[in-house]
Amino acid sequence: MVTTKTDKKARPKPFLFPQFCKACGRCIEACPKDCIHVGTQIDPNSGLTPVVVELDKCNGCGLCIDACPEPYGLMPVEGEIEDMSLMDPAQIFGPRQTSAPKPEPIPGTLVPLPDLEPMVLKGTHAAAVGAILAGCRHVFGYPITPSTEGAELMAKLLPQLDGVFVQAVSEVATVNIMYGCGGAGLRCATFTSSPGFSLMLEGISYMIGAELPGVFFNIMRGGPGLGNIGPEQSDISLVCRGLGHGNTHAVVLAPSTPQEMLDLTIAAFDISFEYRNPVVIAADGYLGQMTGRVELPKTLTKPGIPQWAVYGDRAHRGNLITSIYIIEADLEIHNEKILAKYDRMIENEQRANCFRCDDAEWLVIACNTPARMAKGAVQELRDQGIKAGLFRPITLWPFPIKQLTPLLDRARGLIVVEAGPGQLEDEVRLALSHADIRNAPPFSHVRRYGGVLPQQQEIVDKVTALVEA
Amino acid sequence: MDGVFYNRFERHAHGEGLKGQSTHYCAGCGHGLVHKYLADAIDELGVQDRTIAISPVGCAVFMYYYLDVGNSQAAHGRAPAVALGHKMANPESIVICYQGDGDLASIGLAEIIQATQMGIPMSIIFVNNAIYGMTGGQMAPTTLMEQQTTTTPTGRDRLTGEPMRMAETIGQLSGPVYVERVALYDNKQRVRAQKAIKKALRVQVENRGLGFVEVLSECPTHLHMSPSDAEQWVKQEMVPIFPLGVKKDVDTEPWFNLDEPNFEPDDIVTVIGSSTESSAKGTEPFPSHIDAEDISLKFAGAGGDGAQTIAMLTTRTAINAGYDSTHIPSYGPESRGGTSYADVHIATTEVLSPASLKPHVLVAFNPQSLEKFGPTVRDGGVVLYDSTVIAEPPQMDPGIKTYGIPFTQIAVDLGKAMVKNTVALGATVAATKIFPVERFVNTMEDALKNKCALLPINREAFNRGIEAVEALDKTR
Repeated sequence: MVTTKTDKKARPKPFLFPQFCKACGRCIEACPKDCIHVGTQIDPNSGLTPVVVELDKCNGCGLCIDACPEPYGLMPVEGEIEDMSLMDPAQIFGPRQTSAPKPEPIPGTLVPLPDLEPMVLKGTHAAAVGAILAGCRHVFGYPITPSTEGAELMAKLLPQLDGVFVQAVSEVATVNIMYGCGGAGLRCATFTSSPGFSLMLEGISYMIGAELPGVFFNIMRGGPGLGNIGPEQSDISLVCRGLGHGNTHAVVLAPSTPQEMLDLTIAAFDISFEYRNPVVIAADGYLGQMTGRVELPKTLTKPGIPQWAVYGDRAHRGNLITSIYIIEADLEIHNEKILAKYDRMIENEQRANCFRCDDAEWLVIACNTPARMAKGAVQELRDQGIKAGLFRPITLWPFPIKQLTPLLDRARGLIVVEAGPGQLEDEVRLALSHADIRNAPPFSHVRRYGGVLPQQQEIVDKVTALVEA
Repeated sequence: MDGVFYNRFERHAHGEGLKGQSTHYCAGCGHGLVHKYLADAIDELGVQDRTIAISPVGCAVFMYYYLDVGNSQAAHGRAPAVALGHKMANPESIVICYQGDGDLASIGLAEIIQATQMGIPMSIIFVNNAIYGMTGGQMAPTTLMEQQTTTTPTGRDRLTGEPMRMAETIGQLSGPVYVERVALYDNKQRVRAQKAIKKALRVQVENRGLGFVEVLSECPTHLHMSPSDAEQWVKQEMVPIFPLGVKKDVDTEPWFNLDEPNFEPDDIVTVIGSSTESSAKGTEPFPSHIDAEDISLKFAGAGGDGAQTIAMLTTRTAINAGYDSTHIPSYGPESRGGTSYADVHIATTEVLSPASLKPHVLVAFNPQSLEKFGPTVRDGGVVLYDSTVIAEPPQMDPGIKTYGIPFTQIAVDLGKAMVKNTVALGATVAATKIFPVERFVNTMEDALKNKCALLPINREAFNRGIEAVEALDKTR
C-alpha cells in the first residue's frame, strides 16, 4: 500500500521511483542511519542521477520522506518493497487526476416580488437596489466621488441581508477580492469612478482571462488625471477598447436615467454570468447623483452556484480558476474560446433606444445624461418642424450597429453629442467601418469636456445650423 | 491513491511523461516541501473538500498542478485579496494564501497588510528565499545586504534598502492570531515547519483567526549553490537577519461566523425601503399654470442652507403626485464660488433635460445666488429670496414675480435657524401653487418618519413660509 503521509506507528520504510528523484540530496543529510547515498547511475527517463536507497539499516524514522520535496519522491510503503518496484506507476497512481466528483451547478431561482410602489432614488442608489434585487450580496470598493454613495448604501444595507461589504485597501485590491468572490461563483460588484477604474484594469484583464463574472459601476468623472468630480464620458475608449492587457472586451451598458441604473444593473448580472465575463456599467457623474422615479421589477434573483465555481465544497473541488496557459497552443485555444464569446456578445447583446428615429433626417447620437439633453433637443427641433431623431446606444460595446444601420439611409447627418473628446464618435465610426458601411452620412458633433455637459440649446443650434447650411 | 496531491498532475504539461508525477520545481527548492506539509495538514484536519488554495505569481504559480483542492490562481501580489473574496463568499471554505517574497513583501504589500490586519480566519504561507526565482534571480525585498542578484550585480547596498522582515511586521499587527517564522534546512526545522503550517490552518479551521507562517526556503538555482550549500546559506546567512520562532500567538475563542445571505422578498422590500402601501398617492392636476409639460426649479444657496433637501422634497412630492421628476445637485462651472444649487424638473411624462438653465422658479438663500441665477429666470417666473441676508435685491425683470421673505429670521424666531429651508419651501409652495400644501406635508412626514421630533418644528416653519407669502400677496 502507498500513502502520501507518514504513519509514525507503522514506521513505514521509504520507497523511491528513481525517475521522480531530482537528486537534491536533502534525504541524504536527513537520514540518521546513513541509508541514502549520492547515486552514480543516470536515470534514462529523467536524465538525472537519483539517490540510492539501501534499507538494511532503515528503522523507518521517516525523516528522509519529510525531507523530500517531491510529492511522489520518497514515499512511505509498508510490506514488501520488491513487489512495489515491479508495478506499473500508472496502476499505482490511478486512472484519474482526482477522486473529486464531477462539478454540478446549483441552479438559481427567480422569486416573485409583491407589487411595489415606485421609489425615488438617486442613480447610484438605484444601481445598489438593482444589485440587491439581482441577488448580489457581496460588494467591495474603495471610496471615490461621485460613485461613493452606491458603496455607502451597500455598506448600510448588505449586513441587514447577511451580505458583505468590504472596503478594500485600494481599487487594485477591490478587483482582486471580486476575482475571489466571483471565482467562488457569487454575484459581486463594485462602485468606482474613472481614476479608480483605471486602477482596476489589471484585475479586469485577469477576470476576463479566468472567465469570471463581476459588475463594475464606473461613474465617469472629469479627467485626465485627478481631473474633477464633474460628469464626463471620456472613459468610453477605456471601457470599450482598453480593459487591461491582452484580448479583452466586456459588455458595456450605458444607462441614462435612474430607472435604467436599476434595470441595467439587473441585466448586467445576468449577462455577466451568461458569458462568465465582467460587465461594465458606464454612467456619468451627473447620472450617479441624479434622483428620479424608479419602478421596481416583479421578481428578484436568488442565485445558485455555477458548475465552474471554486466555492470551497466537495462538489466544486475539482475546479480551477486561472488565467495562465503556459503552453502557447493552449493559450491560443483559450483565446479562440474568448473570441467566440465576444462574437456571441456582438450577436446577442446589442441594445439601443430610438426616439423619433423612424423618419429622422438628422440623427443625434448620444448616451448617458447627454442623451437626455439630446432628447430634449430632438423634441424642440421637431416642434420647429425639423426631422430630428435620437439614437441612444445602451450597449457601448458591442455598439448597436444593427439598430443604427436601418436609420442611415434616410439620415442626412449624424450629430454625436458627448461629454468628452469624441470617444463615442470613435465607437460609431469603428462600428460603421466593421460593418463595411462606406456611405454613412457626414458626422458632426457637440462636445463638452472637463465636467461640463452639452446642453439642449447647443444641440438645437448645431442641428439648426446643419439644416440651414 | 487518494491523498491531497492529485493522482496525476494533468495540469503540468498535460501530465505527459514524468510530469504527471513530478513537480516543476528545481532540485533542492523548498516549495515542494511546503506543499507536502500543507497537504499533510489539510489531510490531518480533514478539510480537503473545503479547501481553496490561492496560487501566487512566482515559482509557486503552478501550485494548482499539485494540490487536489479547490484552486484559484491570483495576479501578482493579490493573493490575499483573492483569498478574502473566497472567504467572504463562503465562510465555510478553508482558504490558503500562498505567496513568495516578491509577491507578498513587494508588489502585494498593501493587500497582505490589509488582509492580515483584518484578521479574518485565513492561512497565509509566505515562502521567503531572498530572491526572485520565476523571473530569474532579481533582488527581492528580502534579499540580504551584499547579496548579489541580477539587479544588484555588485551586491545589495544601502541605496536599495534593508531586507524586509515580514514575520515581525505582520506579528506586530493586531489582526493575526498566530505568526511564526520557520525554516527547512534540517530535520529539526522541518518538523517545526510542519507543525507551524498545521497550526496556521488549525486556527482558521477553528474560526479563531488568521495564521501567518514565513518559511525560509532555499533557491539553489539562483543562489548558484548546491542544494546542500543552499541549506547552509539559509542557516548561516538568512537566519541571523530573519530570526526563527513564534512572533505572535494569541489565545482566542472562535469568533468568525457569517450567516447565509438572505433572499427573502419581504426582508428585501423592507431593507431597500420600498413598500407595497400606496402612501396617499394619486394624481394631482399638473401645475400647467407654470408650464404645460415641463417645469424647472432652482434652489440655490451656500452649502448647509438646505437647498438640496427641499429640492429633494419637491421631487418626491411631484413623483407622489403622479409625474416624472428629477433632482440633481450642483455641477459644472456654475458651481464655482461657494454656491450649492439644486436643479429640479417636473414633467408630465418624462423629464428630458434635467438641468435648470432657465428655471421657472428660483429660490435664493444668499445675494450671490440671486445675482447669478436671477437673470436666468424665465419671463413670468417666480423668484423667492431670503430678505434676512439680501437687503438690496438686484432689479428683476418686471415680468418676474419676486418675493423677499426673511427665511432665516422666521426660522430663528422659531428657535431653530436650520429650518430656514423649510420656511423657503412653504413660501415656494404658496407663491407657485405648484401642488397642494397637503401633498408637501405628506412628503415631509414621510421623510421625517424616523426623526419624528423634527416634524412639529418643520411643519411650523413650512406654515410660516406660506403665511409670509400670503401676507405679501395681500399687500400687492
